Amino acid sequence: MSAGRRDLLVCLLLAGAMALLPQLVGTRYVVTQSTLFFIWAVVVSQWNLVFGVAGIFSLAQMALFAVGAYATAMLGYYFAVPMVVAMPLAALVSVAVSLVVGLACLRLRGPYVALLTLAIAQVLYLVVVNDTDCFTNPPSGCMPFFGGVRGFSRFGDLGFRALLGSKWYVAHYYVGLGLLTLAMLFSIAIVRGPLGLAFQALRDNPGYARSRGVGQFKYQLWVFGLSAFFTGLAGAFYGVQFGVVGPIVFSLATLLFLLSMMVVGGLGTVWGPLLGAALLMLADEGMREVGDWRDIGLGVILVLFVVLLPRGLAGLRLRGVSKAKQS
Amino acid sequence: MNVAIQILSSGLTLGAIYALSTIGLSLVYGSLNMLNMAHGALLALGGYVCFYVMGVLGLPGLLGVPAAMLVCGLAGFVVYQLAARPMLASGGFETRIFIATIGIGAILGNVIQRSFGPQPVAQPLALHGALVLGEVYVPYQNLLILFVSVAMMAVVALLLGRTRVGRAIRATAQNRDAAQLMGIRIGRVYAQVLALSGALAALSGILISSLSGLLPNMGGDPMLKAFVICIVAGLGNVFGAVVAAFLLGLLEALIQYLLGVQYSFAILLLIVIAVLIWRPAGLFGRRQVVRL
Amino acid sequence: MSALLTLERVSAGYGHQQVIRDLSLALGEGQLAALIGPNGHGKTTLLRTISGLLHPSGGTIALEGRRLDRLRPDQIVEAGIIHVPQGDLLFPEMTVLENLRMGAYLPEAAREEARRLEEVFALFPKLRDRQGQLAGTLSGGERRMVGIGRGLMAGGRLLMLDEPSLGLAPIVIDQIYEAIATLRASGRSVLIVEENAMRIAELADVLHLLDNGSFAWSGSGAELLSRPESLAAYLGA
Repeated sequence: MSAGRRDLLVCLLLAGAMALLPQLVGTRYVVTQSTLFFIWAVVVSQWNLVFGVAGIFSLAQMALFAVGAYATAMLGYYFAVPMVVAMPLAALVSVAVSLVVGLACLRLRGPYVALLTLAIAQVLYLVVVNDTDCFTNPPSGCMPFFGGVRGFSRFGDLGFRALLGSKWYVAHYYVGLGLLTLAMLFSIAIVRGPLGLAFQALRDNPGYARSRGVGQFKYQLWVFGLSAFFTGLAGAFYGVQFGVVGPIVFSLATLLFLLSMMVVGGLGTVWGPLLGAALLMLADEGMREVGDWRDIGLGVILVLFVVLLPRGLAGLRLRGVSKAKQS
Repeated sequence: MNVAIQILSSGLTLGAIYALSTIGLSLVYGSLNMLNMAHGALLALGGYVCFYVMGVLGLPGLLGVPAAMLVCGLAGFVVYQLAARPMLASGGFETRIFIATIGIGAILGNVIQRSFGPQPVAQPLALHGALVLGEVYVPYQNLLILFVSVAMMAVVALLLGRTRVGRAIRATAQNRDAAQLMGIRIGRVYAQVLALSGALAALSGILISSLSGLLPNMGGDPMLKAFVICIVAGLGNVFGAVVAAFLLGLLEALIQYLLGVQYSFAILLLIVIAVLIWRPAGLFGRRQVVRL
Repeated sequence: MSALLTLERVSAGYGHQQVIRDLSLALGEGQLAALIGPNGHGKTTLLRTISGLLHPSGGTIALEGRRLDRLRPDQIVEAGIIHVPQGDLLFPEMTVLENLRMGAYLPEAAREEARRLEEVFALFPKLRDRQGQLAGTLSGGERRMVGIGRGLMAGGRLLMLDEPSLGLAPIVIDQIYEAIATLRASGRSVLIVEENAMRIAELADVLHLLDNGSFAWSGSGAELLSRPESLAAYLGA
């Protein structure tokens, strides 16, 4: 069985198994936390395509996520666009933003890309937070165009609250699961498909790959733009799930959290980031007890992994295989 | 005329502050291709150590500043030993050290927050009063910042240009293999550069906090701006970084005057991106590495 | 004759790719030994392994009986092995004089700096006029002179030159060879990598032909010159 088919099978089996979870463990906390896991897993899987597979050292992923969330909220808030329409529209906005960022950054060398994308994310944050002029004046108080420090709320939802009452969160669970399944199918298609091969070739032998017409910039821009779609969609769904979109989606702590997921799981692999996302969500649960030591704990985990186990947990398995081959 | 003096005064002050933190970052990148994302936390650490020595222990500022520089220099050394050194020989160093220092920065920032609390504190090391030029008030604090920065840059220039340690740093930055073949122990050079960069960060952090107060995450934006300056100058180019720091400081002051504070960083960034599209390796390229 | 440099069964390479295998070599005090052979067969790798830029994966390297194969490059320089690398690797943003002085970086060499500088200028008079010029702006021949001169500034027991005539105009190659002849006459121990076997054969005490990571032939210059045709296949002449 080819690696692509195996991944496809694993993906469908996992999705099927996860579909049963709300029936088995009914508590609201587990279900909503799992929904959050789906959201982060989507972002991490797409970031991994950009960072681990295409080799773009981008830190703009959370900013694209935020663009998706904000676009959804603003479409709903200002134009009363139904969320079912607003979410894919917002994802397209993320794609557009990613293409602009990509055109500006991707021709530069690795560290330049990292710093510029980080700076762009920070500028977006500052634009949102520093904009204090009232754009509208609803009864709830002054509303800046980008929502200011408070952000947006009551911009609409998917309609499950009206349909299912207090059980709406189960429906959101399935929306999240569906999103993640789609994102994983997309990831597998990229990693195992022609684009993945092109990047493999560029990594293994850049000179030869280029001479055969494999241009790095073009492929990188493709991956950057396409992965922004699901990232933006995840951001849109995040907004709908929580009913609030504020500047906290830009926070460095979230960026750190997601970066740790990728590094712990294993950059550039299909399943590593998913594993990392699950483990870090669990570790985060565990550290909830110790309150504000949580961020320090996350930092320590990230540093330990990147220093001692740079290929992540997925790399452990790969290393085991290659050692066995050598001996 | 008065407006010009005002812009010049705040622009030069900004430039001086940026230059100081930029030199350290640029030296570190020039010698070991390392983007130190913990630099922002080091800025804050320096500010808080000075605050602790002066404000809590009640000792004079002449002790607070060297204490802060010592602590941050040591912190830089520890970052080298624990994070950079173990991964130097293996592949993907640039990416890995970047991620590792993000983690270290987060740890350090949280430790500072736990020790000193999240609320803003005033930096005790500050001059009051102002110099009156015509109708313009130039605060003594700004003049102090300018003086300290320029003096420190002169010290660094002498260190790099005239001392054995400086020669080794420059040689390592210009050609790592050749430096080793001259008998230079490059591991030691790396450690020295990170310690020096830490000490400079401390001084820079004290100066920044003397203007805007102390906060555990105060280093984030200055670090980002310092990196942006490094990029404009061309990563690793120390002399270019100083020039770019003053240019961007003046530019920022001008933008702030014309358009308001909230857009200054965004416009600065647009200019930077335009520069990079025009010259992908920065204004001064990579050719003039560590030449002072 | 007691050996100055001894290599025993040395292997080295990059990653999993082994470039040299089980090489043994002895170089006598005051000898000029040449490594010859086609490109990509491990000559440069061997020099980089001796100077510690590469760690050998097996075997021992010793200078006058002292083991070097576990030392850092700076310790190997201190022990007395001076490596003038291929492509010169000058410090482009330093002047010629600064580059030369970098050669005398270690304290022991620094004490001899003034005297050695005069020797270098005597060997390459052109460099005296170029002292203040940035190394990055020199011509190829001048760069080579600075590279060799910088190596000489270090003193040391053994000088290793990697392709000192590579990519130079014939007239400059003559100047470099003159300098090498002068060094040999002064009794220096030299290990030189050279593509042009016929040319170096006139100067070398002993030549080693490196083929595919191991020595295929060793002998004196006279032997090589007396029957060049048998080696022509190796040397691609």
